[in-house]
Amino acid sequence: MYVTAKVDEPKCIGCKLCIFACPDPNVFTFVKDKKKVVVNPARCKGCGLCVSVCPKDALVIGNV
Amino acid sequence: MSKAMFKMTTAFADVMPAEYVELVQSGPFGQGYGVADLGSFKELIEEHPLCAGCGLALAVRLIMASLPTPEDTVVVGSTGCSSLAFPQIALQNIHSLFGNQNAVASGLKRALKLRFPDKHKDVLVVAGDGATADIGLDMVMHSWSRGEKLATIMLDNEAYANTGGQESGMSPEGCVLYMAPTGKKFKKIALPEIARESGCAYVASVTPVQPRKLEKAVRRAILVAREVGPTYVQIFVPCPTNFKFKPQETLAKAKQREKDQTYPLREFITPEAQAYLAALEGGGKHD
Ligand SMILES: Cc1ncc(C[n+]2csc(CCOP(=O)(O)OP(=O)(O)O)c2C)c(N)n1
Ligand code: SF4
Ligand SMILES: [Mg+2]
Repeated sequence: MYVTAKVDEPKCIGCKLCIFACPDPNVFTFVKDKKKVVVNPARCKGCGLCVSVCPKDALVIGNV
Repeated sequence: MSKAMFKMTTAFADVMPAEYVELVQSGPFGQGYGVADLGSFKELIEEHPLCAGCGLALAVRLIMASLPTPEDTVVVGSTGCSSLAFPQIALQNIHSLFGNQNAVASGLKRALKLRFPDKHKDVLVVAGDGATADIGLDMVMHSWSRGEKLATIMLDNEAYANTGGQESGMSPEGCVLYMAPTGKKFKKIALPEIARESGCAYVASVTPVQPRKLEKAVRRAILVAREVGPTYVQIFVPCPTNFKFKPQETLAKAKQREKDQTYPLREFITPEAQAYLAALEGGGKHD
């Protein structure tokens, strides 16, 4: 898509709330050993629901 | 369905679509995954054309992650926005004529019972509010009164979203939509109460704001429908496109409605279903 969610890695605490809020499948992957999430920008529609639930302001929507 | 169906002929592995390979290698079949595991396995639903921020799409994704045994589940859908997601689901699924979903599911469930008498084959109806509470209401209610062992899930976006925003029986009173410009004159249908009175052994209304609660309701509905009787889950799925709010506000809208009690969360369980669930859930992983 044209816009995507981006993770500010140091801020992410791996709570996975974004994963449960995203309406699209397999946009987020949880990286177990790092306890962080990563985004697949090709799958993200940029709706911003993940941003709305992140307790650490670790997500932003920006251009791909 | 046998789990062996999800194995790949090694010689063809390099020509199979990447999504299929992922599903075989890290899909949920036979794994007992739930909502808490999202992000760590290949989901049953693939990329779909539903709008950005769609509450219905989120609910379908959570439902797919809540199935107790996806390899033995058949989904019966109906026309509406969700029917754009079902072709993207790696499960047996039937698209029925608008409103006919509970009639189709009744026949299917009975046939599966005859064909596989010793197995649980879960038949899950997933349809919109228009399909469930308006055009399909006779099929829905009759399946409940007949005691068909189906789990019926309504994706309640309180409108006919797919056809551009007409009011449905589930739209709240006063609701203004693109094609209901003067506001709805009647109250929202109390389908959870109707379901309870019509023979459902388990009834719940939930929202995707609390994904684990949604998961619990879906699992309970499926499990109770195996042994006890019909079940109904109503999920509030706000629609940014027809209700003209920003896609990032979908969960806030649902939260607000939970809070101000205009979308009350409920759970009705018959004593028989309660006893059945208590026996199953004692110490279970997905409680
Ligand atoms: C028999 C029949 N009548 C009418 C339609 C037109 N139609 C298609 S989708 C739809 C509305 C669906 O509303 P709902 O069930 O609430 O699903 P939503 O799109 O809101 O998810 C209608 C009336 C149809 N496809 N078939
Ligand atoms: S119209 Fe509404 S319910 Fe339909 S896909 Fe778009 S946001 Fe979802
Ligand atoms: Mg609808």
